[in-house]
Amino acid sequence: MAETTGKTGNSKAPNATKRLRLGLGLMLTLLLVVGGKLFLVQGLDVGGMAEAALNSRMTSAVLPAERGSILDSRGTVLANSVIRYNIVVDQRVNTKTDSYKRYEPQADGHDKLVDVSRDQAITELAAALGMDTNAVRNAVTGDQPYFIVAKEVKPDVEDRISKLQVPGIVAEGVSKRVYPNGAVAGGVVGFLQDGTTGLAGIEQTQDDQLKGKDGKRVFEIGADGLRIPVGLDELTPPQNGKDVKLTLNSDLQYFAQQAIQSQTDKLSAEWGVIIVMDAKTGNLLALADTNAPDPNNPGLVAAKDRGTRSVTAAYEPGSVEKMITAASVIDEGLASPLDKFTIPPTYTVDGQTFSDAFTHGTEERTLAGIIGYSMNTGTVMAGQRLSKEQRYDWLKKFGIGEAPDIGLPATASGILSPPDQWDGRQQYTVLFGQGVSQSTLQTVRAYQTIANDGVMLQPRLIDSYISPDGTEEKVPAQPSRRVVSDNTAHQVKDILESAVTEGEIKDAGIDGYRVGAKTGTSESPCDDGKPGYCGYTASIVGMAPMDDPRFIVEVVLQRPKGSIYGITNGPVFRSVMSQTLRTYNVQPSTGEPVRLPQYAK
Amino acid sequence: MSTAAVKNFPIVSGSSAADPRPAGEPGGTRKGRTPLSVVRTAPRKRRAPFVVLCFGMLAVALVAVLVLNISVSTSQYQLVELRAKQSSLTKTNQDLTQQVQNFQAPQNLAAKATELGMVPSAVKGQIDLSTLSVTGKAVPAVKGAAPGAVIPSPAVAGQLNVPPASTSAAADKAATSGAGNASPAAGPADAAQAAADKAAAAQKAAADKAAAAAAAHAPELHGGSVPAPQQKAPGQ
Repeated sequence: MAETTGKTGNSKAPNATKRLRLGLGLMLTLLLVVGGKLFLVQGLDVGGMAEAALNSRMTSAVLPAERGSILDSRGTVLANSVIRYNIVVDQRVNTKTDSYKRYEPQADGHDKLVDVSRDQAITELAAALGMDTNAVRNAVTGDQPYFIVAKEVKPDVEDRISKLQVPGIVAEGVSKRVYPNGAVAGGVVGFLQDGTTGLAGIEQTQDDQLKGKDGKRVFEIGADGLRIPVGLDELTPPQNGKDVKLTLNSDLQYFAQQAIQSQTDKLSAEWGVIIVMDAKTGNLLALADTNAPDPNNPGLVAAKDRGTRSVTAAYEPGSVEKMITAASVIDEGLASPLDKFTIPPTYTVDGQTFSDAFTHGTEERTLAGIIGYSMNTGTVMAGQRLSKEQRYDWLKKFGIGEAPDIGLPATASGILSPPDQWDGRQQYTVLFGQGVSQSTLQTVRAYQTIANDGVMLQPRLIDSYISPDGTEEKVPAQPSRRVVSDNTAHQVKDILESAVTEGEIKDAGIDGYRVGAKTGTSESPCDDGKPGYCGYTASIVGMAPMDDPRFIVEVVLQRPKGSIYGITNGPVFRSVMSQTLRTYNVQPSTGEPVRLPQYAK
Repeated sequence: MSTAAVKNFPIVSGSSAADPRPAGEPGGTRKGRTPLSVVRTAPRKRRAPFVVLCFGMLAVALVAVLVLNISVSTSQYQLVELRAKQSSLTKTNQDLTQQVQNFQAPQNLAAKATELGMVPSAVKGQIDLSTLSVTGKAVPAVKGAAPGAVIPSPAVAGQLNVPPASTSAAADKAATSGAGNASPAAGPADAAQAAADKAAAAQKAAADKAAAAAAAHAPELHGGSVPAPQQKAPGQ
């Protein structure tokens, strides 16, 4: 570079530098403005635009939890939820669209764009739904943004409707509760109110376990309705409800329901109940009621029939309570099965006179004979050896007045008044089951104690809970308690077996098996507050096989018509017990059946 | 460069630069100047490839991002399609399971068995495999005993294909079963008429509704003019 003269150099350099500096300054200012605006928009978001944009993109969807199923002991589904659709319409959209285009598949495989008029669309929609065309037209015409055209439509119908692409029509997924076995175990399973909350039975008491927890999904959605994959996506997965597994055997439940319904209809009784229990575990295999509701349509039966009388109906048990009296006197050492009692035609004690169901002279009977022939007189004679407090304590020990807890609503506890409130007659009548009330389940539980060698197990209806991932948590058994000694239980079992082999209940016998049973006929207090008694309650409870009792069956009939002395539930008991023994492949009894003499020598 | 500057830089003359003789050699004869030759120009800094490289990397980066975004979006569409397929298969599965459960319901089984002419057996026996003994006496089953009460079949809506009911026989069938479902059989219904009277009274209202609903259910002709042949379903 040639050297320039001093002066000219000095003037040129500052000019260039000045221009440079000016330009630089200008650029920096502009940069500052841009940077500042960037900071304002990106950093501080003064206009709230980023947030507004996010709000318009963001949608949250509720992921509904699936309600758990109710299963029987072998996994048969008693209740489950299925997908159904409500067909809803935006009436404004539909009313103003006179015709629209849609793709229809042609014979050559391609889709052709076809014009469809509103009338044709309505006719096609009505045909798909199975509704009247005019009804559909009324439903889709109007100015409401949301109107339900059809409820709980099956998925294949919904698929056909969606292919029609009728403007304004949208299918909304809903969950529907279905009960595949209908009225079998209907009262126990219960039903839902509004399709969401349980209103009766297991659906009600186990509602919290069955419901689960809804999940939520927050995501960003574009204008084309498709989720933006790189956007915000928070997922709270739904927790599906747990499945409830019951101890019922649905085939046996059907058999018992059919048997009790036939018997009730034949004798025109008010209602009937059959309970089948496993003596070794306390599991309830069948809880049969007459007129059981079909949970798919519970309104078809009367409101009073929608519960489970097997556990809720308390009544005076009658002669079946004599087993408790016999067990008490034997355990207290006050009598033994072959003790001799001289029984007059009527027995008077403390100014109270008791007579039997059959007339007889003075008889020499054993304790076994008193129970075998269901004699009130003999029972009072034997039972009066217990003090009032002892009678009360023994009834309590056998679970009378104590409600079983099996997970069904309104389980009855029965009525056992304290001994100081007993009047002169009641203190004796409790010995043969009048003046005290209990449910069928409580009676079965008392007999299970004897069947299980004197150890009472609480009845079980809910076997386990199965979580959505498949793990099964068994419900632990409630604490058991010893009520009578092993020896006492054995002697009482002998008395019950003799009632069938030698006593009055010969029609309860089953070929090939040793059976023990007790009948009960009690006067039934009038229901509507009227004093006195109206009709009878006829029952029979038994266990088999007596060499090692496995099952207990009780059959109860409330207020059958006709002479009570001609009515027997023996055949019903026999058929249900045989069916149970056969279902569970119980070996026929070996050895000789017990035959305690009914008359004393 | 100005003359002033020239003064600052020592000039390395060609002679001393190219002098091969060691420096300590005293009074060596001055070598001749290196003959002039064309000096190969220093390799010019090749900036073009670097620029190309820069642009190339930029392009690659952009293309990579583009391809990534495209594939994610495509996968999203595929995901939606697969989900739709999964949900339709789930629905089909549910429907088929429901049909199976309907056939398995004990009251439906019993009704179907009665319709086929089967009767419950009255006797039973056992074969003990360990001792090979047979207990019980085999007696042929006897028909004719009163079947007793009929538990109505489950009223699950739309379970079996119900053809449009227009005859009174169909209305009778609807009277002895739950609403919206085909009746188990006409046989046990007749025999159990007395037993079912009580239930029939409660279900009469449902029966009227069922008959009306069934009558309004026009058969779908799928664009044709002849209705499809009626599928024989259990209980018809």
